[in-house]
Amino acid sequence: MAARPWRLILPILALAITLWLWALAGVLFVIRWNAVERPGPPLKELFPYGEMRIGVDASYPPFAVATADDLFGLDIDLGRAIAERLGVPVRFVNMGYDGLYDSLKADQVDVVISALVIDYSRANDVLYTIPYYNAGFVLVSRADKAFMTMNELSGCALAFEFGSDADTLARAWLRRIPPFEMRPYELPAYALDAVRLGQADAALVDATAARLYGRAFPGWNMQMHPVTDSLYAAAVRIDRGKTWEAINYALQTLADDGTLAALIERWL
Amino acid sequence: MKPRPFSVIIQTMLTLRSRFWRLFRVYWHWIIRAGIVWLILVRLAPAPPRAPLGPQQVVETVKPQVCVHTRLIDEVYEWKIQRSLQMAREIGADTVVEFFPWAYAEPTKGQYNWTSFDRIIKHARNQGLHIIARLGLVPAWAREDAENSTLNYLPDESFDEFAAFVAAFAGRYAGVVDHIIIWNEPNLSFEWGYRAVDPAGYARLLEAVYALAHAANPNVVILAAPLAPTLEPPGSPNGLNDLLYLEALYQAGAAPYFDALAMHTYGFTDPPEAPPAPDVLNFRRAELLRQIMERYDDPARPVYITESGWNDHPRWTKAVRPSLRVAYTVNAFKWAEANWPWLDKLCIWALRYPTSTRSYPDNFTLLTADFEPKPIFTAIQAYARGWQESDDLWLPAPGG
Repeated sequence: MAARPWRLILPILALAITLWLWALAGVLFVIRWNAVERPGPPLKELFPYGEMRIGVDASYPPFAVATADDLFGLDIDLGRAIAERLGVPVRFVNMGYDGLYDSLKADQVDVVISALVIDYSRANDVLYTIPYYNAGFVLVSRADKAFMTMNELSGCALAFEFGSDADTLARAWLRRIPPFEMRPYELPAYALDAVRLGQADAALVDATAARLYGRAFPGWNMQMHPVTDSLYAAAVRIDRGKTWEAINYALQTLADDGTLAALIERWL
Repeated sequence: MKPRPFSVIIQTMLTLRSRFWRLFRVYWHWIIRAGIVWLILVRLAPAPPRAPLGPQQVVETVKPQVCVHTRLIDEVYEWKIQRSLQMAREIGADTVVEFFPWAYAEPTKGQYNWTSFDRIIKHARNQGLHIIARLGLVPAWAREDAENSTLNYLPDESFDEFAAFVAAFAGRYAGVVDHIIIWNEPNLSFEWGYRAVDPAGYARLLEAVYALAHAANPNVVILAAPLAPTLEPPGSPNGLNDLLYLEALYQAGAAPYFDALAMHTYGFTDPPEAPPAPDVLNFRRAELLRQIMERYDDPARPVYITESGWNDHPRWTKAVRPSLRVAYTVNAFKWAEANWPWLDKLCIWALRYPTSTRSYPDNFTLLTADFEPKPIFTAIQAYARGWQESDDLWLPAPGG
């Protein structure tokens, strides 16, 4: 009787070990499979025109701006870096914002890289890559007092640009939390000046304005905490899945090896 | 005794299973009650507000030129349409410009569905507002290769179908909507379905539409499409300079086929008083378009500026600061009133978008998507209704 449980347990144990070994083999196979460099789809399939045509609205510094004979900005550098990583020539197609999404549908461009904020209502038409920049609003304050959320503003003075989206957001906050002092200024830089000079406790500005101000005053140790998201990503037509995959992969490698951070640091 | 890990696991699972069933037997009626409460709570979610027509409203304004361009056709909820039109009335505009897409009204050839148009027009009338209707956007059945063409692609072969739609619209809303704009900014490639722009082709479109529309509604005013302010040279893949396009339109013989001209004139970074020049895009570019009309002996034809304004996005190169936007916009109305006797309406783009575009076009609006008035709204309202507005809108710059 004492040996009887082993008659049951041993086969189960043997089965379990076998299954476990198979699972281990499967995992090792997947790891190995992913590690092997395999040729992706031919570039001709990814970019049928032999080049990566990038749609951009070059009226949006520091992301894309046009001079008489060239384009420059973060989006331009990012497009070039992606193309270089994929080993494909690049051509920028400059157009107005209104035409960006239509240009994908009409096959005028392969990808749009133009400070596009991810818009889920367009999910049936385009594929967005991973985001490469967050341009949402931030609360900026001096080093001695950080403001992480709107709730911490009660009783404090908040600076912002008159008539801007920050103005609208601040008025919405005022209806939701105990009162704080509203300090509208004519420019976002003045709102940040007010914090730096001690005339306001915090400023509500977009991340790009805050970063550019930080470059202008490198000696000022400011605190910056995001309060809203506005994620920029590249967009590809929805039926160009392989192109999207390649661009997304290139963007991911640029993020992983620090190239993306360096590009952002260069422009912002 | 040797450890027996596998049997311990099995034993634990069996114990858990038996505990689960024991608990289930004790508390099953509570589980069912919780399910019923959940179902009731889900059903109790508030219904969207209804939008019954209220008493007939009258627009109060001292500046009849003031007009706003709305964006209502893609609005899901009727109460938002009603609220938008209430805000248009409250700003002191007696006229709104609205887009009525052909693709929405006739998704299947010959079968009209006017529901979405009717609900906008009934609320506009209820608020005492006139409508200038802009028609465009081609249904898939009227486009070649619909899968790869945009909604702005209207092949020549479909001009007659579009004209039939315009006539049906004009007839249905005769006496209610008597101003119709044919197409939008045909001097831009993307507005012409990503083809080379074609003034002669657009002239043919006007010709196809004009007689049918007037037969359906003898009082209809057909407005030739407003042109996008642009400096694109001939041969550009993006479009054609608006001054050149208007010249070409007259030369193509379009004059007999429109009753008024619509214009788009944006200030971009210039103040409204900045002088016009052929190589400059600013508010007074409208005067250059008007000069072309006069050159073609067409001075009596009225003009409606159906899009205008300034943008206050912090990063767009063609934008100004919000404080300047307020000043420029109000001064633009004053300039037009004092200097442009040929102008019928000056419509600001745009009252509100149904949803955020998540980019700088949002900074053309007067209201947020949540109906929050921006300072530009209150400034125009004060001007249109003759109210005094405070001068102290912002604090002086810190540190002088």
